[in-house]
Amino acid sequence: MWRTLLFAACLSAGLWQLGGAAWLLAKAELAQVLISDAWAEQLQSGSEVKPWPWADTWPVAKLQLYRQEPLIVLAGGSGQALAFGPGLLETSGAPGQPRTTVIAAHRDTHFGDLGELEPGAPIQLQDSRGRWHSYRVSETRVVDSGREQLPIFAVPGLLLVTCYPFDAIDAGGPLRYLVYAEYLGVSETVQL
Amino acid sequence: MHRAIFSGQRIPRELVVLPTEEYYRRRYRGSRRGRWLLFIVTAVAVFVAALGAGAARAGQGVTLNEIESGDLLFSGAQQGGYVPAVHLASRARISVRGLVAEVLLQQEFANRSGDWQEAVYVLPLPEDAAVNGLEIQVGERRIVGKVREREEAAKIYRAARAAGKRAALLEQQRPNLFTNKVANIAPGETVHVQIRYLQPVHYDTGTFSLRLPTTLTPRYIPGEVLADTELVTDSSGWALPTDQVPDAHNIAPTMQPAAELTAIGSHKISIEVELDGGLPLADITSPYHDIDIAKRADGRYSIRLRDGEAVMDRDFALHWRPRSSSMPRAALFTESRKITAEGGGREGTYLQLLLLPPDAGDIVRRLPREVVYVIDTSGSMSGNSIRQAKESLQLALSRLQPNDRFNVIEFNSDTRAFFPRPVAANSANIQQARSRVEGLQATGGTEMAPALRLALSQQMPGSDALVHQVVFITDGAVGNERALFELIQQSLRDARLFTVGIGSAPNNHFMRKAAQFGRGSTVTIGDLGEVQERMQTLFTKLENPLATDLQLQWPQELLVDAYPKRVPDLYRGEPLQLVAKIQGGVLAGEVQLRGRLAGQQFVHKLALKESDADQGAGIGSLWARAKIEALRDQQLQSGEQSDAGKTLRGQILQLALDHQLASPYTSFVAVEEKVVRPEGERLSKSPVPNAVARGQVLQRQTYPRTAAGLYTQLLTAAGLLSLAGLLRRGRLARGKMLRHLRDLLRKMLPRPTTTGRCARGAVERGLVASPVRTR
Repeated sequence: MWRTLLFAACLSAGLWQLGGAAWLLAKAELAQVLISDAWAEQLQSGSEVKPWPWADTWPVAKLQLYRQEPLIVLAGGSGQALAFGPGLLETSGAPGQPRTTVIAAHRDTHFGDLGELEPGAPIQLQDSRGRWHSYRVSETRVVDSGREQLPIFAVPGLLLVTCYPFDAIDAGGPLRYLVYAEYLGVSETVQL
Repeated sequence: MHRAIFSGQRIPRELVVLPTEEYYRRRYRGSRRGRWLLFIVTAVAVFVAALGAGAARAGQGVTLNEIESGDLLFSGAQQGGYVPAVHLASRARISVRGLVAEVLLQQEFANRSGDWQEAVYVLPLPEDAAVNGLEIQVGERRIVGKVREREEAAKIYRAARAAGKRAALLEQQRPNLFTNKVANIAPGETVHVQIRYLQPVHYDTGTFSLRLPTTLTPRYIPGEVLADTELVTDSSGWALPTDQVPDAHNIAPTMQPAAELTAIGSHKISIEVELDGGLPLADITSPYHDIDIAKRADGRYSIRLRDGEAVMDRDFALHWRPRSSSMPRAALFTESRKITAEGGGREGTYLQLLLLPPDAGDIVRRLPREVVYVIDTSGSMSGNSIRQAKESLQLALSRLQPNDRFNVIEFNSDTRAFFPRPVAANSANIQQARSRVEGLQATGGTEMAPALRLALSQQMPGSDALVHQVVFITDGAVGNERALFELIQQSLRDARLFTVGIGSAPNNHFMRKAAQFGRGSTVTIGDLGEVQERMQTLFTKLENPLATDLQLQWPQELLVDAYPKRVPDLYRGEPLQLVAKIQGGVLAGEVQLRGRLAGQQFVHKLALKESDADQGAGIGSLWARAKIEALRDQQLQSGEQSDAGKTLRGQILQLALDHQLASPYTSFVAVEEKVVRPEGERLSKSPVPNAVARGQVLQRQTYPRTAAGLYTQLLTAAGLLSLAGLLRRGRLARGKMLRHLRDLLRKMLPRPTTTGRCARGAVERGLVASPVRTR
């Protein structure tokens, strides 16, 4: 009897966890589709478009990492926003502004491959006016977020943030992986 | 088995295989196997988890070393980020005489690195401190600092620093925030910097009090970052200058958790107080520290921290209450200053006055009020502060009467009002507000201006029958104080603004001045346990009539320059406290305080006479400090860059130089003549961090949480599912295995005949078969 109970409990808890993980992944993937549409619409209309009516965030930029699918960046670094896509932190600057642009994403959804970025790799970032800003990775580093503050400087630049180590089990760890890319300039032409 | 009975089928007794001892033994063994399985799965799961955690820990060690080795890009970011090169220890010796406290604050900067260092420390001081001394002490040598105009002092300091001389500079950034720089501390050397200041003792509702801040709550810097600023590595602060706070980098020091600082033996303060109140005291208390009190033979009290030292993570406060039989109604202290060699401009007689208006008693009719509560839910309030704030607000809401009106405004980066306009304080509205208050979270910026504007514009036209009050609950952690004071002054109309200072290290400068410009009053809550008592004090002020139209009349032959210039309205329990400079004659006659209280005129008289010489020492400095504050307030109206503002600047500068005080335009600088740093030795700049105030969460440009916890979920799912699988499959597999075994044995061995029974079912067959195997 206890075996059956235990079995049922284990099975349902396991399925629940699996479902949760699947839901996270699905949310991350599906949301990017909806958000891409919102981004396209926003580029055309020029005003903020929410990807779904009850969304508490909206797309603010499009991030093209070296040889990867482009990601749409959302406003804000809250948990809700990060579940759907990379977030542009509120305290940081917009692309091209004389202030570091900080984009954060979950290591297990969108920024899982951040570790593959080597110094010298190009990064493109499209702002809400459709202009592409070019960056080049100049530095990667691991920091302890419990001890250090975000290095935001008064110069244009791009800082990508995700959790570290990439395959750690613990989700609340203090370490962060930083990729700093220096600003190269802006091009008006749209490249794909 | 019961089912057999219901179905009516009877099984012949000889056909029923009753469990034998062997069966139970096997059954037991079987379940033991199940437990082993469970154990192994759990062990594997734990092992995997431990591996993961171990990997994380190993990663941390490596990376910290990497960071400490330093690199170019983040060199500015990392300075002082870990173990500060310069350690700090403080010692405060406070001596209270009459209504003046003289404080000697000794700070010890110990260079624990192998480089020559320049220590930069953001020093919080009481908001009404008159800083009148700076001294460096290295070994036996003492170097006395001098007051110079701000730019000149900075130039002298920079030159000394470059030349390799020991030097110290004390600059005022805010009335309660100074920057203390000490240049050329040799490796392993300790430099003592002694700062001397005077502060008035506060008296309110029968209690004298004194406050010594030891750290600060990081101020929020509103505004757009100035485009042309380059964050040079020279900057010691974290925030960038903005259009609203151009000196942001000076007032936003590096913060570090107190535990990290005390672990390396830094940031401890010892406090000794010598109290000569001149009155028999009922009690002496310190709300945030444990103290030892000793009464000396001469009637003075000597007070020290029980543990000798305390962490510099909260304000030190001392309250003392006279016995009710000797509650003061008035007090007068004087100081006479003669012309000295140090320079003119400060001779004269100075007096400090404390006068309590009469008490209206409890018989007064309560007027209906319209109260707008504003609660700060910015990130700096997170931790204990927001709990204190919510508790205070809940208490305040519960005090409302049905004929009152109220509204609640919550603000951080945005401002949200609970109701579009103040609503009647009926139980439904209050209940609604209370439940919303309970759900408030502290996060985001501190955009105070829109919240203040909204709160002060809530007043309905034509609702003049109501008393308009705004209760502002905040830690005051903003960098644009003066702009906010201006805003309060402009949009106050007939409302009154009360501030409730929250947290272990609130910005008392903001609290006091906002209440002053808002013609209200302020209370400070530093601990959840204080909420009840302190809010009660506030309610007393909110709900009782105040003394208005106050005027002081001095003897005609005296020329009096008194501050505050206009006597403010006094709430219940508040005395009139002022400092004045008297010229043109001997102090004689009497001063009269006239005013109205609860619709009645009153006159209060006090005879003027000089007091004992040592009772009033330091009043001259306090007067100069009060005058500087008054001139700064005038400057707020005219603007600092206008002609009038520049005239005022000149007056402040002259006053500060005459009285040897630090001010917005004057700094203390001390330089040793000897060159100590050998040429060729590099000088590193080392910001000395401030400890994160107790109960607060470290406010940094925080990193977001960037893991969804997917791996944990997947691993848990895998573990649980395989456990489930094993539980299910284990049973089946065993049956299958046993059947195979039996078949095999049957082929090899003759059919057992000993039992003579036909076994049914897998288990039974297994049982039947098993004795064969054991043979």
